[in-house]
Amino acid sequence: MTAPVQAGPVATTRRMVLWVPDWPVAAAMREAGLRADAPAAVLHGRGLAAVSAAARAAGVTRGSTKRVAQRACPEVALLGYDEGRDSREFEAVAAAAEEVVAGVEISRPGLLMIPANGAARFHGSEEALAEALIASVADLSEHESLVGAADGLLAAIMAARHSTLVPPGQSREFLSSAPVSALALAAMERRQREAVEDLAGVLTRLGIHTLAEFTALPLGDVIARFGHVGRWAYRVGRGEDVRPPVLRRSQEDIAVSYEFEEPAQRVEQLAAVAAHVAGELDAALLAAGVRCGRVSIGASTERGDTLERVWRTDVGSRAGAFSKHMADRVRWQLEGWLSGTSAGPEPAPLTSLMLTAQDVVALGDEQAYLWGGTSGADARAQRTVERVQSLLGADAVLSVREQGGRAPRDRMLTVPWGQEVRSMRKIEHPWPGRIPEPAPATVLPMAEPMEVLDAGGSAIVVGKRLGVSASPTWVRLQAEPGGARHAATLRHPSAGHVGQGPTWGPPRPVEAWAGPWPMVERWWSEDASRRAYVQIIVRDGDDGSVLAILAAYSGSQWWLEAVYD
Amino acid sequence: MSTESPTPSAAQQQRLAAARSALQGAHARWGVTREATQAAPTLPLSSSLSSLLPAGLVRGQIIRVTGSTSLMLEMVAEGSRAGSWAAVIGMPAVGAVAAARRGIELARVALVPHPGAQAAAVAGACVDGMDVVLVGDAVALSDGDRRRLAARAKERGSVIVTSGRWPGAHTSLTVERTDWSGLGAGDGRLRQREVTVAIAGRRQAATRRVRVLLDNEFSWVSSRHTAAVSEGVA
Repeated sequence: MTAPVQAGPVATTRRMVLWVPDWPVAAAMREAGLRADAPAAVLHGRGLAAVSAAARAAGVTRGSTKRVAQRACPEVALLGYDEGRDSREFEAVAAAAEEVVAGVEISRPGLLMIPANGAARFHGSEEALAEALIASVADLSEHESLVGAADGLLAAIMAARHSTLVPPGQSREFLSSAPVSALALAAMERRQREAVEDLAGVLTRLGIHTLAEFTALPLGDVIARFGHVGRWAYRVGRGEDVRPPVLRRSQEDIAVSYEFEEPAQRVEQLAAVAAHVAGELDAALLAAGVRCGRVSIGASTERGDTLERVWRTDVGSRAGAFSKHMADRVRWQLEGWLSGTSAGPEPAPLTSLMLTAQDVVALGDEQAYLWGGTSGADARAQRTVERVQSLLGADAVLSVREQGGRAPRDRMLTVPWGQEVRSMRKIEHPWPGRIPEPAPATVLPMAEPMEVLDAGGSAIVVGKRLGVSASPTWVRLQAEPGGARHAATLRHPSAGHVGQGPTWGPPRPVEAWAGPWPMVERWWSEDASRRAYVQIIVRDGDDGSVLAILAAYSGSQWWLEAVYD
Repeated sequence: MSTESPTPSAAQQQRLAAARSALQGAHARWGVTREATQAAPTLPLSSSLSSLLPAGLVRGQIIRVTGSTSLMLEMVAEGSRAGSWAAVIGMPAVGAVAAARRGIELARVALVPHPGAQAAAVAGACVDGMDVVLVGDAVALSDGDRRRLAARAKERGSVIVTSGRWPGAHTSLTVERTDWSGLGAGDGRLRQREVTVAIAGRRQAATRRVRVLLDNEFSWVSSRHTAAVSEGVA
């Protein structure tokens, strides 16, 4: 019943692996500016994800908790976990390796894989190649690395950890005495590594300690017991390749930059430069035979600040319009920033301007909609929006998106039309305690103060433990500016309207209410908010019409947040 | 010259038909005939509102809605779902989540919250290029601007839904009464809303009143089956 076990040699690629030990902590220390021999560790969740050599010598181990680590080594620097930083910092190492060989595969941050045959022939021998790699990485990126070579994935990784070159054909012997826990080294992503670590734990408890013992089992039984992970581990343990290395090809960014001879301060100076730079980018794209989906516009100022925004380019096939389109974007962005209307660093004269093409695709490979191309109506609407943008400026036309959040205002994200902003608030996340459906049709851009009063006319207070001081009976909203009541109070300052406070409308009786619903958000940060929401139906006029509102109590003041109109 | 026979032969008739169809095609392509420019005279309207506007959301019309932003959004929701573009001018407080829940495709919505003094130019551009234009009540439009916009909307076949004053609007919907249910004295939550809408039009003499279920707790679970009860002519 068992599947036949394939014995004999397996097809593998000779590969060389460059491994930087403890990469997450090495990258974090580089970013934090620590010396390489300082004790440091990267903390992820409750445990340490990586530990530097000095800390390990002091007794700090991977996986231990923060408190245990600090007891073992009080001066250990605990650094935050950041996958993006790991990948970003590793680019320097990959670039250094690419100085020596033509193509590398980044298997995971900290581990590079290089097909060895051709490169070793070029450098004379594998030893020479390994030396050149280590020297280049140490020179250019200033990281210590280990290099090993072997046939097959796992053998090559283990060779790198031992810094040895396994002769061709001996990888299986090299692997046979390794413990089964070494299988996890070949797992490239976290979830897969957890599955493999579980498998190794089970195998150890079953009394199978080395890879030789594991690969001696019939493959069919391994698959029957361990499924997909077992099959993968079996192949890797035999020294097979799961897949050939995927080489990345380094490509220059298509970018155009302009250095101002003297720092530019006026919009008129910039307009001509914007047109010039946009035209150059268009020409560069055309020369490369590509077009781009997005353009990042960056400007740096005399003070060293940078201002960067990403714009979509929906010009499609209207190739001639591209440079004008981008020139407008550049001009709007700089205008808005120099005039101080849009957010950003403090305005200062500009020293350089840079346009980088992103989402680059070859000409003719653009993706249209799933069903047919862009319709005439879409192109027309796009032109309309551009027209309105040219009338009012780029920030006056907004596109709106839904995002995750609890309060109605947090759940919408408005961005200037055509600008790419990634929302950090995912809709899929649970957002416990959000205001229930239906969503209010009017969400005030800024909450307005209002008054919620009890039967005696004193303000309702929501206590720390969400106790409401009394049942809400009256609500006073702000009088409409320009309304008769507003005008009357302004005319007669003696009529109770003192100072610059809000003008209150007439008190309106509460028909029904519900709440308070607490919402404590981001208590750990500076923009913490602590509010209690109440839905109230108030009688609006004498004819029995009602108004449903959403009010929030925060900082001993009631705020009108939204109206269900 | 050959003599012409009184009855055209079959071949001649065929050629005539081909010429006519070619001419019709050219008309349609260049937009000479009215039928060609107005392929769809109405925009789709959600079934719950069909009692409000029995003729549908006719292209080129001005509809004034007072007292409910939700009703404005509901009017354009079905059209937006079917692919039409919408511009929202001078409504800085419109709730995007409410719009999305009603079925509006937010990717096809452009907001111009503060058009300022350029309101007429902005509205004109939007009427030219968008299928639906929502105009808020605090927009600096003169009566002349409004007339020009109405003429332009009629020509371009777009629909203007406004919450502000608009003399000469084709239909005027006023929410006279709102009945919420689900909220108690300190408990419950807003669940269901029924509104009474008074409909006055240029073409109709008397004001009609219709009750519509605008928010239904289960509308997002099942399909949007909302009952509309007509109260008859007032």
